[in-house]
Amino acid sequence: MSAAAAIHTLIVDDQASMRALIRTSMQQLGFREFREAGDGEAGLRHMIAQPAHLIISDFNMPNLDGLGLLRAVRAHPPTSKAAFIMLTGRADRDLVARAVQFGVNNYLVKPFTVAQLKEKVETVFGPLT
Amino acid sequence: MTAAQRDPHPACRVHVGQGEHYVTTDPGVMLTTVLGSCVAMCLRDPVAGVGGMNHFLLPEGSGSGPDAGRRYGAYAMEVLINDCLKRGARRDRLEAKLFGGGRMFDSLQDVGRANADFAERFLRDEGIPLAGGSLRGAGGRRVQYWPVSGRALQRPVTDHTPPVPTARPVVVADAGAVELF
Repeated sequence: MSAAAAIHTLIVDDQASMRALIRTSMQQLGFREFREAGDGEAGLRHMIAQPAHLIISDFNMPNLDGLGLLRAVRAHPPTSKAAFIMLTGRADRDLVARAVQFGVNNYLVKPFTVAQLKEKVETVFGPLT
Repeated sequence: MTAAQRDPHPACRVHVGQGEHYVTTDPGVMLTTVLGSCVAMCLRDPVAGVGGMNHFLLPEGSGSGPDAGRRYGAYAMEVLINDCLKRGARRDRLEAKLFGGGRMFDSLQDVGRANADFAERFLRDEGIPLAGGSLRGAGGRRVQYWPVSGRALQRPVTDHTPPVPTARPVVVADAGAVELF
């Protein structure tokens, strides 16, 4: 079993087609365990019920945005160690700076390639293969 | 229908080029674009009075895997949706019209159809109702869209050019006697 197959991932995005694309891309990298949420609030409920090892979250979302989710996850001890990769629509320096301040592990600019996703995940978890 | 919605000469005309999008709450704004195999999604929230248009073409042969086109397309849709949401729209009230996806060349690969298929699938996946529009077919279209009212007009664009007038042969009325042999 590859390292990726053991990592449980939570995908948080308000766009169903984007969640499906992230899942498909992750599957190409060997990931097998996924849960999905449509906004930060639902993502937080998932994390509290059953923490994931990795969260890949959009920034722009209703109810609770990606930054709010990041802060909440870091503030809750059972979930505070989860790896967090933020998806942004563009390389927004202010957003990235705030995300780094709140403990984001990496960020990925949309539209991304599978190779870019792999690179970002590997900076957090090390080589996947 | 308000005067602004009927106005054939809107207060502001904005052209949306390939890869661009535009969102407004101004009923006097008319968005316009010219489409071949590209697709434009015209999106609005009729309650909030906000809407906009994008204009995209899925990339081909990018070498980034089979989902590269879908990733780019989903992003093009997302930026339009997010900008509408930022201006007061609600996702559950959004409605869309789709235009374009024409077959421009007689080649094996119908790029326009692929763009149209993607756009329809995207709306189905996101649960956004399709309120109208015109997809596929042959040739290009010029589209005009009033985002606040949702009114849309389409005209076909042809590559027909008027014939260039050629010089008529000059007939000389009296050329004089003709010597046959």
